[in-house]
Amino acid sequence: MIRLLIVDDHPAMRAGLTAVLRAEPGIVPLGTASSAEDLGPTLTRTRPDVVLLDYHLPGADGLKLCRQLKRTVPAPAVLLYSAYADSAMVVPAILAGADGILNKSAPAAELFDALRAVARGDRVLPPVPRELLEAAGQRVEPEDLPILAMMVDGTPMAEVAEVLRQPVRELARRVDVMIERLRVEIAAV
Amino acid sequence: MTGRRRDRGTLRTLRDERWFALLSMTRVFGAALAIALLLAHQVTHADPGLAVLTVVWTPASLLVLRRTQHEPWAPAVWAGDTLAALGLVLAGGDWRSPFYVFALTTLVLPATSLPWRRAVAWGVGFSVLYGLVALLTNQLPADTLTNTIRLETLATHLFVPVVVATMLAYSSVLLGRLRDARGQSERLALQAERQRIAWELHDSAKQRVHAAHLMLSALDGGATHDQNRALLDGALAELRNATADMETSVAELRTPLDGRPVDELLRERAAELSQTGVAHIDVAGRLPALPPLVAAHTYRIAAEALTNAVRHAGCSAITVTLASAPQEVTLVIADDGVGMPAEPRPGGHGLRSMHGRAETIGARLHIGPGPGGRGTAVALALPHPGGSP
Repeated sequence: MIRLLIVDDHPAMRAGLTAVLRAEPGIVPLGTASSAEDLGPTLTRTRPDVVLLDYHLPGADGLKLCRQLKRTVPAPAVLLYSAYADSAMVVPAILAGADGILNKSAPAAELFDALRAVARGDRVLPPVPRELLEAAGQRVEPEDLPILAMMVDGTPMAEVAEVLRQPVRELARRVDVMIERLRVEIAAV
Repeated sequence: MTGRRRDRGTLRTLRDERWFALLSMTRVFGAALAIALLLAHQVTHADPGLAVLTVVWTPASLLVLRRTQHEPWAPAVWAGDTLAALGLVLAGGDWRSPFYVFALTTLVLPATSLPWRRAVAWGVGFSVLYGLVALLTNQLPADTLTNTIRLETLATHLFVPVVVATMLAYSSVLLGRLRDARGQSERLALQAERQRIAWELHDSAKQRVHAAHLMLSALDGGATHDQNRALLDGALAELRNATADMETSVAELRTPLDGRPVDELLRERAAELSQTGVAHIDVAGRLPALPPLVAAHTYRIAAEALTNAVRHAGCSAITVTLASAPQEVTLVIADDGVGMPAEPRPGGHGLRSMHGRAETIGARLHIGPGPGGRGTAVALALPHPGGSP
């Protein structure tokens, strides 16, 4: 059984998702949150296995929220749910620790599969195109390149910290800076 | 776009006409003054003749100036106009001429139409010529008190044209800047409005469509009846097309094609993508003007095809062939890469949205192996915008 929390600012999307996911055996929507402020209390109350997180939330962006979610103990799996189909979002999503990214236009069956996969601990990420990775590499500090490479490869942050002999806290700070640089502005899509 | 271009045109005409109105007013006033002075005092032996000449020359010169105002050789006409006015001064036989104000009006068009440095130079040139006329009329001051006063008058006569030309040029520049600033702020306001609409479209309408699509797609397994199945598939396809439509509208609102021709935009996009160094992109041929919605979808389909080729095809060369036949317009984007995968990429949304867009504008889209079975070719055929139905 997958215990799921839905975070989306649009009521139609929350209602639709809840209805569809409630009907699916093995997935239990525990509740919904419409904003970052809403998320905190709901999270402590429900303790979900998976959070289905809207990429674009008003006020706070999904990536930052994703980072926060992945820092909580125990951290839930996060599936980013985006209305835009752009692979440029994948690199920042990986850095933010998302376990998967899915387009909102995907049919329900794909959503169920993706939720089950991230709940199992798998990653549901489209392949990162070579030139996108090159472009990302050019936008971050040269000394951060190993971090980028390891994380895109799927290395957990704790392991990256160990390899680089750096405190996790310092690593998290550098990753935050990278996300800021690589973030895909909606206006540019 | 036509609207905006027309607006800009109107603005320009208004500005030019404003200066021409100033010219007409001052010239008529200058002519009236000259005639009054000629008739009130005896200036030369041929005053009535000069008065008649002024009455004829004033409207004639205005007519010629109006007709030639926008010609590239207009400065030659202005120079002729200046020389004619100085001729009238010369005919008066004295540089303290009734035609002085009349002559000053020849500065209006050059001072307001030329770039400001040249405008000021024109004013200085006028003063130099006027000084020559003063020499020719042989009324140069000698060394007495009266002559000091006359010397001062001459200095004023020579200084005024420079001042007039400078001030006119300055006002013209200021008006131009004002107009630019107003246009800029209008553009910004328009852009902000577009952003707002785009955001609403994306934030509200698109989310609802996504929700509806998701709910319907959850019915997929339940609808076993053939007829229901077909209806459901149809509804899902419509919702996907609606999403593609909205994406185009949002993209159009954020970075509008602005009525620019699709082929020009594609060349720009190709140049941008070529710079990544992945593949060489060659764009050949032209497209006819397309209706705005068709143009927007066509451009987005072609741009998506280019992006896909660069990202996924692993190719070294991409050719874009644009052609226009009497019945249809075709775009072919072919690459020499690895070709289409047998299984679609996970999360691949681009192809679906390309088909959705093509359907929306009634175009045929074919995506398959390239010429000779190598690479991938994306062929889009749309009905000719001017062709018979």
